[in-house]
Amino acid sequence: MASFITRRLLQTFVVLLVMSFVIYGLMGLMPGDPVDVMAASQPGMTPEVMANLRAIYGLDQPLMVRYARWLMAVMSGDFGFSRTHARPVLEVLTPALLQTCKLMLASFTLSVILSLILGVSSALKPGGWVDGFVSLFAFAGISVPIFWLALVLILTFAVGLQWLPASGMGQVGDFGFWDQVRHLTLPVLALTLANTGQFTRYVRAAMIETLQMDFVRTARAKGSGSRRVIFVHALRNAMVPFVTIMALSFGSLFSGALVTETMFAQMGMGKMIYDSILSNDFNLALIGLLFATFTTLMANLLADLAYVALDPRIRLE
Amino acid sequence: MTTLDKPMAQGGHAQPNSADTQSIWALRWRRFRGHRTGVASLVVLALLIVFCLMAGPLEAWRGIDATQTDLFKRYLPISAEHWLGTDDAGRDVLARLMYGGQVSLLVGLLATIIGGVFGVSLGLLAGYYGGRLDNALMRLTDGMIALPLLPLLIVLGAVDLTKLGFSTEAAHSQSVAFWRIILIIALVDWTAIARIVRAATLSVKERDYVSAARGSGANALYIMARHILPNTITPIIVAFTLTVGRVILFESVLSFLGFGIVPPTPSWGNMLNNAQELVTTAPALAIYPGLLIFVTVIAVNFLGDAMQHAFDPRSEK
Amino acid sequence: MIFRTTLAALGVAGLMMTAAPAQAAKDQLTIGVAQFPSTLHPNIDAEVIKSYTLGFVIRNITAFDKDWKNTCLSCTELPSVKNGTAKIIDLPNGGKGMEVTIKLKPDLKWADGKPVTTKDLEFTWRIARDPKTGFSNSQPWTRAVKVDIVDATTAVLTLDKVLSSYNEWDQILPEHIEGPVYEKAKEAGDYVKQTTYARNPTTPGLYNGPYMVTGYTSGSQVVLEPNPYWAGTKPGFKRIILKLIENTAALQANLLSGDVDMIGGEGVGLSIDQVLELRKQHPDRFEYLFKPSLNYEHIDLQNGNPLLKDLRVRQALIYSADRKTLTDRLFQGLQPVADTWVNPLSANFTKDTLHYPFDLAKAKALLAEAGWKPGPDGICRDAAGTRLSLEFGTTAGNRLRELQQAVLQNNWKAACIEVRIKNEPARTFFGETMKKRTYGGLAMYAWSSSVTESPRRTLASDNIPTEANGWGGANYINFSNSRMDELITKAESALDPEEAKALWAEMEQIYAKELPVIPLFFRSEAHVYPKWLKGYEPTGHGHYGSMFSENWRAAE
Repeated sequence: MASFITRRLLQTFVVLLVMSFVIYGLMGLMPGDPVDVMAASQPGMTPEVMANLRAIYGLDQPLMVRYARWLMAVMSGDFGFSRTHARPVLEVLTPALLQTCKLMLASFTLSVILSLILGVSSALKPGGWVDGFVSLFAFAGISVPIFWLALVLILTFAVGLQWLPASGMGQVGDFGFWDQVRHLTLPVLALTLANTGQFTRYVRAAMIETLQMDFVRTARAKGSGSRRVIFVHALRNAMVPFVTIMALSFGSLFSGALVTETMFAQMGMGKMIYDSILSNDFNLALIGLLFATFTTLMANLLADLAYVALDPRIRLE
Repeated sequence: MTTLDKPMAQGGHAQPNSADTQSIWALRWRRFRGHRTGVASLVVLALLIVFCLMAGPLEAWRGIDATQTDLFKRYLPISAEHWLGTDDAGRDVLARLMYGGQVSLLVGLLATIIGGVFGVSLGLLAGYYGGRLDNALMRLTDGMIALPLLPLLIVLGAVDLTKLGFSTEAAHSQSVAFWRIILIIALVDWTAIARIVRAATLSVKERDYVSAARGSGANALYIMARHILPNTITPIIVAFTLTVGRVILFESVLSFLGFGIVPPTPSWGNMLNNAQELVTTAPALAIYPGLLIFVTVIAVNFLGDAMQHAFDPRSEK
Repeated sequence: MIFRTTLAALGVAGLMMTAAPAQAAKDQLTIGVAQFPSTLHPNIDAEVIKSYTLGFVIRNITAFDKDWKNTCLSCTELPSVKNGTAKIIDLPNGGKGMEVTIKLKPDLKWADGKPVTTKDLEFTWRIARDPKTGFSNSQPWTRAVKVDIVDATTAVLTLDKVLSSYNEWDQILPEHIEGPVYEKAKEAGDYVKQTTYARNPTTPGLYNGPYMVTGYTSGSQVVLEPNPYWAGTKPGFKRIILKLIENTAALQANLLSGDVDMIGGEGVGLSIDQVLELRKQHPDRFEYLFKPSLNYEHIDLQNGNPLLKDLRVRQALIYSADRKTLTDRLFQGLQPVADTWVNPLSANFTKDTLHYPFDLAKAKALLAEAGWKPGPDGICRDAAGTRLSLEFGTTAGNRLRELQQAVLQNNWKAACIEVRIKNEPARTFFGETMKKRTYGGLAMYAWSSSVTESPRRTLASDNIPTEANGWGGANYINFSNSRMDELITKAESALDPEEAKALWAEMEQIYAKELPVIPLFFRSEAHVYPKWLKGYEPTGHGHYGSMFSENWRAAE
C-alpha cells in the first residue's frame, strides 16, 4: 500500500515536470512575448523602452534558458511574480482558489445529492415515466451550452424577476454570509444543472446494473427482506463506480469553471488561468495549470484508494 | 465519460463473427425500433441534416443570399421574405442557420472521426499487443484525462504557426483555421474511445478464431482489421455518436472564448456567441442557434442511449 | 375597516421596501466595467481601465477638459510662454530647449494628510528616468532632463527640446511612501514588484484626488471613498464601486437588474450599438450620452501589395465604400465619417482636404481608367487576367468590426472589388500581423491619440516597424514621405497655435491626397447613467470624465 502511494506520487511529480516543460514551450509559441502584449495596449512605447523591459523580465534570453531559470526558482520555493497582477503568484492564486472552492464545492455537493435521488428513482423502474422524465432532465443538462444556460438564468432571475443579483462576489463592506449566498446562487445553480445531468446518468447506469445482479434478483424473487433492505444493499454496490467518478471529477473542480466564472463575474481558478494565458503571464499560468493538474492526479489516486476501500475484491499491486 | 465505456465494452464481445451478422443487425434494428425516444431522435437528426442541406436550394428558390448584408433591413421580424427575420447586418437568419448547421455538424463529424480513428488505433494496439506497449499507451490516456484540457486547448489555439516554420500565408489561411479547430477538438475526445476499444480487444483476442488466425501465421494488422475491429464495432458506434454531441457543444464553448470558427463563416456556436451581446435587445437571434444546438445534442445523446440499449444483449426489454 | 388599514399598511410597507434600496443607493454609485486594472501604479502598463480608475484618485498636473482645452488640475496656472512661466533657452550643446515653471496648488494633500510638494514631483521625474524601474509608461516625464526645486510648490523643469506639449504633465507619485520602496529596490525591475500601489493599494497616502481607494479585490472590484483631505469641490458620493463584469451581455443584464447603476463609455463597458439598442428598449429608464471621441477607426492599406500601389485603386476603394450609410445605419449617425486622422473637434483640424463621398460611378470609372474590367463573376480583372481581389483582416471576435467588414465587403463587390475576410485574434493581429506588416491588403482597427498628439508614431518614416528597430513604432502602413516627416518635426516644436495649425493642415492634406489609409469614422463614447446622476461630463479623450468626478452627485 505504502509503496503503491509512493510510486504514484513519484509518477505525479514526473507528470508535472513534463507538463511544465510542454506548457512553457507552447506558451513560447504563442504570438508575441509579454512585452508585445503590453505594447499592444500602448502603441506609443518606444523601441528603447521595449528593449529595456525585455532585459528586465529576462525575455532577451532563449526560451530554454528562461525555462531552466524558472524551474530552478520554483524548486527553491519561489513561485515567481505575476506580471499582469503585479503581485507574487501565490497572492493571486489563493483568493482565486478560495472563490473556486466556494463555488465548486457548493455545486458539487448539490449535484451529487440531486443526482443520487434522481438516478436511483429512475433506476428503480427503467422505462417508467419517472425514468423518462429524469432522462430528459439529465440529457438536457448534458446538452445545453453552459453560457447559454447562464444567460437565461441571469435574464430570468436577475433582470426579469429581480430576485437575485446577476453576478459578482458580494459587495465589499457587507461581506455577510447571506449576501455571499445570494451572489453565489445563480452560478451554483447553473453549474449544478449542468453537472447533475452527467452524474445522474452514472448513478442510473450503476444502479440498474446492480439491481440486475444475481443476489438482488434472488432476494427480490424470494420476496425476502423488505424493499428497503434490497435497495440499501444495491445502492451500496452501485456506489463503487459512482464514488470513483466523483473522486475523479473532484480533482477537476479546482481548475474552475471558466465559462460560468466569466458569465457570473467570479474571479476563480478557471478565469485566472485563462486570463494569464491570454496575457502571456507565464508564471501565473504555469503555476495555475500545474496546480490544477496536481489536484486531478491526487484525486485519481484517491479514487483508486476509495475503490479499494469500497470493494474488498480489488487489491492494489 | 469514463465509466460509460465499461458496460458497453462488455456488451461488445457477445457478438460472434460469423454468417449470422445479418440477423444480429436485424435484431438490433428491431430492438432499436422499439425504443421510442431513439427513433424520435433519429427522425429529428435526419430532419436537422435535411434542414442544413436545404441552405443552397432555399437560397436559389427564394432568391436570397446568406452573405448579403443590408443595413436598411437590420433586425427585421419574421416576414414572408425572411422567414426568421434578419440579423444585425440585415442577413437572412434562416439561411445563415442552415449554413451554420452545415459547419457545426461538419466540425462535429470530422473531429469525432479524426479523434476516433486515433483512439481506435491506440486502443487496438494496446489491447492486441498488451504488455509494455499497453502500459505506456494507457498511461498516456490516463495522463490526457488528468490534464486541465480547456486551458491547454486555448494555448494550442493561440500557438503561432509561423513560429513552427509554416509560411505566413499558410498559417493565416481560413482553411488552416478551420482544420486547426477540428484537430484541437479531436485531441480532447479520443481517450474514451481508446479505452473502450482496448477493453473490447482484450476480450476478443482470446477467442478461438483469433488464436487460430494467429496460429496460421496471419499478419497482425490483418487480424486486427479482419477479426478484431468488426467485433468491437458496436461500442465504437455508440461512443462515436455520443462524441459528436459533445463536440458540437465544445465548438460553441470555443466560439464563446473566441477560438471557434471565425466569422463571417457562420456556425451555430459563433452565431450564438455573436447574438449574446444583444441578448437583452434581440433575444431571438440567440434563441435560434441555442435551440438548434440544444436539440441536436440532446437528440444525439438519446440516439446513443437507444443504440447502447439495442446493442446490449443483456437488456431484455 | 381594520382589514383596510392592514391592507394600506401592507401597501406602504411594500412601497418602502421597494423604495428603500433606491434611497440607500443615492450616496453610493456602482459602475460596471468590463476590464480590470492590473495595478494602480500610473507608470506601469498603460490601460484604459487604469487611467479611468486613477482619474478618481490621482490628479494629473494638467488635463484636457470636456471641451478639449488644456487646464490645470494640480497646478495654479497653466505654464505658458506668454506669461513667462515657460521660455525657450539655449542649451550648452548649441540646441534649443525650454524651461517650464510648474506651481502646485498649496492646499493639495495626499489622503493621509501630507501635503503634495515639488519633492514628490522631483521624485516622480527621477524614477521615471531610471530604466531600472521597468516602467513602460514614463514618456511624459522623460521629456525633462532637469528638475530644479524652487520652493515647496514651485519647480522648474528643463526640456532638451522645444515641444508644443510643454504644458502637459501627468500624475505625481508620493515621495514619502514610494521613496523608501524605490531606495530599497536593488535589482532592475524590483521596484515594480514592490510598489505600494500593487502590494498595498488601499494605503491612503498613495492618492491625492477627490476619492481614494479603500477596497481592492483583484479581478472583482475597486471601492473608492472620499479623500478626507481633499480641498476642492466636495465629492458627491460616500462610495463609488467599480465592479468588473467582463461579459458584456452579463454587464447589460446587471444594468437592467440594478446591480450596477451606470456603465461608462470610455471603452471600459458596452459597445455603442449595444447602448443604442438599449436606448431603443428602455428610452426613459436611463440617461444616454454619446460623446464624440478621439478613437479613429480606419483601414490600413498594404503598400507592398501591387494592386494597392495604384492611387486610382485606393481612390476607387474609398469612393465605393458607403461610409455615411454605414455609420447612419449602424450607429444612427453618431460616429462621424472621418476624412483624416484628425477629429473635426480638434483645434488642428482643417476642412481643406480632399473629400471622398460615396460615388460608385466614379469608383468604377477610376477602375476602368486603371485598366480593370469586370469579369464573368462580377470581379474586375486587368489585362493580364489578375483578379482585383484583396485580403481584409481585423480583430476576430469583435462583433462590430465583423459587421462593418461584412457591409464593406458588399459595398466593394458592387464596384467589382473582391475582398476575402481573414480575421485573427487581437493578439496575433497586433502582435504579429500588423507589427511585422505581413497583412495582405486591408487591415481595419482603431487607435486613439491624446488631444494634441503628434502623428509621429503612425506616420513618420522613423516609426516604421522593422527588424532593426525591434519592430517598434506604429507606422504599419510603411508610409514614408519626406515632407510629412519634416512637417511632423516642425509641428512638434511649434509653440504658436496658428503656426501649428498651418503645419497640421498640410499634413492632413497630404494624408487625404496620398490615401495610405481609408479613414472610416471617429467612434463615440456611449455612456449610460442613471437619471439621478448630475454633473456627469465625459470628455471623449484620454483624460477621462473620472478626472472631474468630484462634480458627480445624486439629485435630491
